Amino acid sequence: MKNVDNRKYVIALIFMLIPLIFIVRLFYMQVVDDKWKERAAQISENKVITYPARGIVYDRNKTKLISNEVYYDIRVIPNQTDNPDSFALAKLLDISIEEYTSQMNKARGYSKRKPSDLVKQIPPDEFADIAPELYKYPGFYEVDRTLRVYPKPIAAHVLGYMAEVDSGDIKADPYYKSGDIIGKSGIEKSYESVLRGKKGMKYYLQDAIGVETSRFEDGKYDTLAQQGESITISIDAEIQEYGELLMQNKRGSIVAIEPESGEILAMISSPSYDPNLLVGRRLGQNYGALEQDTLLPLYNRSALARYNPGSTFKLLNALIALQEGVIDSNATFPCTKSLVGCHNHPTANGVSQGVKMSCNPYFYALTRKIIQQGKFKSHFKDAAYGLDVWASYLASFGIGTGMDTDFPGMKAGFIPNTDFYDNDFPSKSRPYGQYGWAYSTIYSNSIGQGEVEMTPLELANMACIMANRGWFYKPHLIKEIGQNGIPEKFLVKQQTKVKEKHFRPVIEGMYRVVHEAGGTARRAKVDSLDICGKTGTAENFKNYDGKRHQLTDHSIFIAFAPRDNPKIAISVYIENAGFGGTWAAPIASLIIEKYLTGKIKDQAKEQRILDADLMPIKIVKKKV
Amino acid sequence: MRGDNNKLWADVDWMLVGIYFLLIIFSVSNIYSAGYDPEHSGLFDMGTEHGKQIMWVGISVFLGVIIMFLDGSLIKKLSYPVYIIVIVLLILVLFMPAINGAKSWFGFGSFGIQPSELGKLAACLALSTHLSSMAPITTRLKPGFSLSYVGDMINTHWKTVLILGLPAVLVLLQPDAGTFIIFTSFILVLYREGYAGNILLFLLIGVIIAVITLIVADSSFMLPFLKIKVGGKVGIIISLLVMGLIFFILIRYFVLKRNRSPLYRALVGSLIVAILFVNFIEWGYSTFLEEHQKERIDLVVGKIEDPDGKGYNINRAKAAIGSGGFSGKGYLQATLANASQKHVPMQSTDFIFCTWSEERGFIGSFVLVLLYTILLIKIVSIAERQRAKYTRIFAYCVAGVFFYHFMINVGMAIGLAPVIGIPLPLFSYGGSQVLTFSLLIFILVKLDSERKVVLQ
Repeated sequence: MKNVDNRKYVIALIFMLIPLIFIVRLFYMQVVDDKWKERAAQISENKVITYPARGIVYDRNKTKLISNEVYYDIRVIPNQTDNPDSFALAKLLDISIEEYTSQMNKARGYSKRKPSDLVKQIPPDEFADIAPELYKYPGFYEVDRTLRVYPKPIAAHVLGYMAEVDSGDIKADPYYKSGDIIGKSGIEKSYESVLRGKKGMKYYLQDAIGVETSRFEDGKYDTLAQQGESITISIDAEIQEYGELLMQNKRGSIVAIEPESGEILAMISSPSYDPNLLVGRRLGQNYGALEQDTLLPLYNRSALARYNPGSTFKLLNALIALQEGVIDSNATFPCTKSLVGCHNHPTANGVSQGVKMSCNPYFYALTRKIIQQGKFKSHFKDAAYGLDVWASYLASFGIGTGMDTDFPGMKAGFIPNTDFYDNDFPSKSRPYGQYGWAYSTIYSNSIGQGEVEMTPLELANMACIMANRGWFYKPHLIKEIGQNGIPEKFLVKQQTKVKEKHFRPVIEGMYRVVHEAGGTARRAKVDSLDICGKTGTAENFKNYDGKRHQLTDHSIFIAFAPRDNPKIAISVYIENAGFGGTWAAPIASLIIEKYLTGKIKDQAKEQRILDADLMPIKIVKKKV
Repeated sequence: MRGDNNKLWADVDWMLVGIYFLLIIFSVSNIYSAGYDPEHSGLFDMGTEHGKQIMWVGISVFLGVIIMFLDGSLIKKLSYPVYIIVIVLLILVLFMPAINGAKSWFGFGSFGIQPSELGKLAACLALSTHLSSMAPITTRLKPGFSLSYVGDMINTHWKTVLILGLPAVLVLLQPDAGTFIIFTSFILVLYREGYAGNILLFLLIGVIIAVITLIVADSSFMLPFLKIKVGGKVGIIISLLVMGLIFFILIRYFVLKRNRSPLYRALVGSLIVAILFVNFIEWGYSTFLEEHQKERIDLVVGKIEDPDGKGYNINRAKAAIGSGGFSGKGYLQATLANASQKHVPMQSTDFIFCTWSEERGFIGSFVLVLLYTILLIKIVSIAERQRAKYTRIFAYCVAGVFFYHFMINVGMAIGLAPVIGIPLPLFSYGGSQVLTFSLLIFILVKLDSERKVVLQ
């Protein structure tokens, strides 16, 4: 019996052993291991992102350039619908029955219990018709979201457009999730991180089938979406709009900059498009058409196109020659047309007359003095040295270096140097080679033809440098970010290698270009505005049918005004329009006048430009 | 004796009654929380689960008071009639329409009753009556493994087998495998009374260890405080060693010196055997079994997801418990183990432990496990102080049934036992269950209160 009696201990032992195992296990599960807590959160919590409205973009006069507008997405929870009349509903939502069916199937395929988008981005006026009917369809409801709206249909290239993020965007910044929209070009892109604001997060508890049941911890951890900061850009909407008006039926570009700050006042590329065409749903419909347009409306010529600067480039050669001391301001070269062609004009006495009359032989000879300085016995060695000196000056003008501005994807112009002619020109496979060339080979650069190329923005910056007599700020679009200032890099004064005193005769020439009889841009004269300018006329060629054709020259003009204490510097580049003084100069003067006085005196001058259609391309000469 | 109120209540074990009511209070508050919906929060709404639970507790307590006024010997006399009535009910219920695939309910409007729960009570009563009438065990304690021994056993025990086998087979026919397994708990009683040898007990412990081994063998654990990752098998062995150490300390300080050495030997021996056994099971499982056989075992022990989604259930249940952390999310704050979220299935019945553990954390689950342990030890101590054999056997019956329910229910929720749908006694929602376990407790209290007057 004693033996059996002891069994009570065994039973008691078992009764304590199992609970002990449980306690250990529970301690492990509840206190030690976080796995179950993570899993619980995964199962029961749901994060919902709330999207902020983007920051507003103002022009320099606080006119809204980009604003937001509420749009509506229609969403559906498939298992909450009650077999709606699909024809009626499709009609209400203004979509085809096929689209309706396929979207509904997609929604069911994704989840019967969770919402899916049925129609996206219905504008408010259309939604006003839908809203009173929508309640009749259980399981369908609207979600509002904001999209960009452009109060004025201008500055499309400057402002840029928004589109859904691609895989590269998501990889580059984990802030973005698939389906988010991001600035794809223009300042929407360059100031994306400022404009986008901050996403909000709402935490919900969800039940076993993933339906939200209540707020997690009464919303203790929820964050509100923060609207993006507003920014002010340096564009003057009035000038931008006026410039775009003048540029109608013309191909080309206008860039205007405030010289004392480097702020871009206008950046026009023509043809352009209404930025409202590329918002939300319309992006998909319109982008393809714009992209395929042969006039390239999506192409921002002002920042991306590289052109021969033509005679405007003579200003730089004159400045370099003066600074290098190879000429003085009274230097005179005869107008011998044997090497480079010229128009008929009296002999230019001194730099300012050379500029005024834009004498090609004058600048041929002047540039020869820079390139062939006679420091080496060998003609070729001498040219190699001289060219690099010349190129280094031009780099200090910000030409061809890529100016690190705030316009995304901006291109730099091109300034040839010794290395280029040694190894890359005329072709990489058969270059001139070291000491295989001299000034006589590359003289076209002296008059802005040949290999030198500049963007319209660089041309405008060149006008700025002229206006400032030797320095500039990197051209930029930003003026204010929220309450804060602008990036430091735009506040650093860039000094060129040419001293201020050498600008005097050149600017004198620019003044004479506009104001004196015999100047090339008399059409640019506006009384009392003291516009200083320089025309350019660039030959250009196009390979077509295996032949090289010369097309109508590009018409170019750069200017600043007034002569003393300049307020605006400008470049106008009209493709295939002819002589610079004929079209580019009056356009530049109209914009300067509009900007400085707010009105146009000479209505006929304005009307002539508005009426001009310079779109057609004419072949001037055929060359084989 | 009757009418003498002082005497009637004098020897009532108030501690047992106290534990009972503590469990009931925990239970009702917890069921309230499990079904808590902030939008409908009536406390005494009879349509809600906690409302029904309160009603069933009321009925049970009412019956309990009646039992207190009965004579103890009457209970003994009523044992067989009650047993026969319940057997008839168990047969009749097989002709009722199936609910959730089992014919186990008698419905009365929105209330239902499961005779299989009462079957446990009936078996306890009948088994106690039968065993207490048998002659005391004398010499037949050396079991051999011969056929004649088995024959002899059946010859002596056919009545025992019948009393337990009849209701067990009837509930299996419903089918209700969970309740069927509960009937194996009476092995503990037979063991205690000397009718079943150590073999059966070892078998029982062996099954427990084997099941736990199979469930956790190929999962891995981070050792607490050490950040060392160990396999499930090592985890079990470490747990066994820790338990061995605890028992060593218990023996060292709570057992008389002269009794210690056999216990030490038993402890060391059983530890070695247990560790070898764990290794054997794990080795056998991974070495000899084909993939599909493993799958079948995994299915039985609930390790992989089966078509009924038990894997899903257990996963959610464990997430709920684990997310409770040390101190819990707070009362009415369960985010997973709340009926309105539908994450944990059979929320208020089989998986009620989840709600408790999620809201009260480790502190709460520790308290609850401790409370059940105290209850079990209390019942054992009550059993051991009886002079009446009937009462002692009945007490062990109660302890065994409670222990099984507790072990399987909590073990299932924390992933240490296979998923078997049985309630946590007095804690889960369920009228029949509360009624049965309440009656078991009250009958025990009544019988125990007569321990000094009854000499049988």
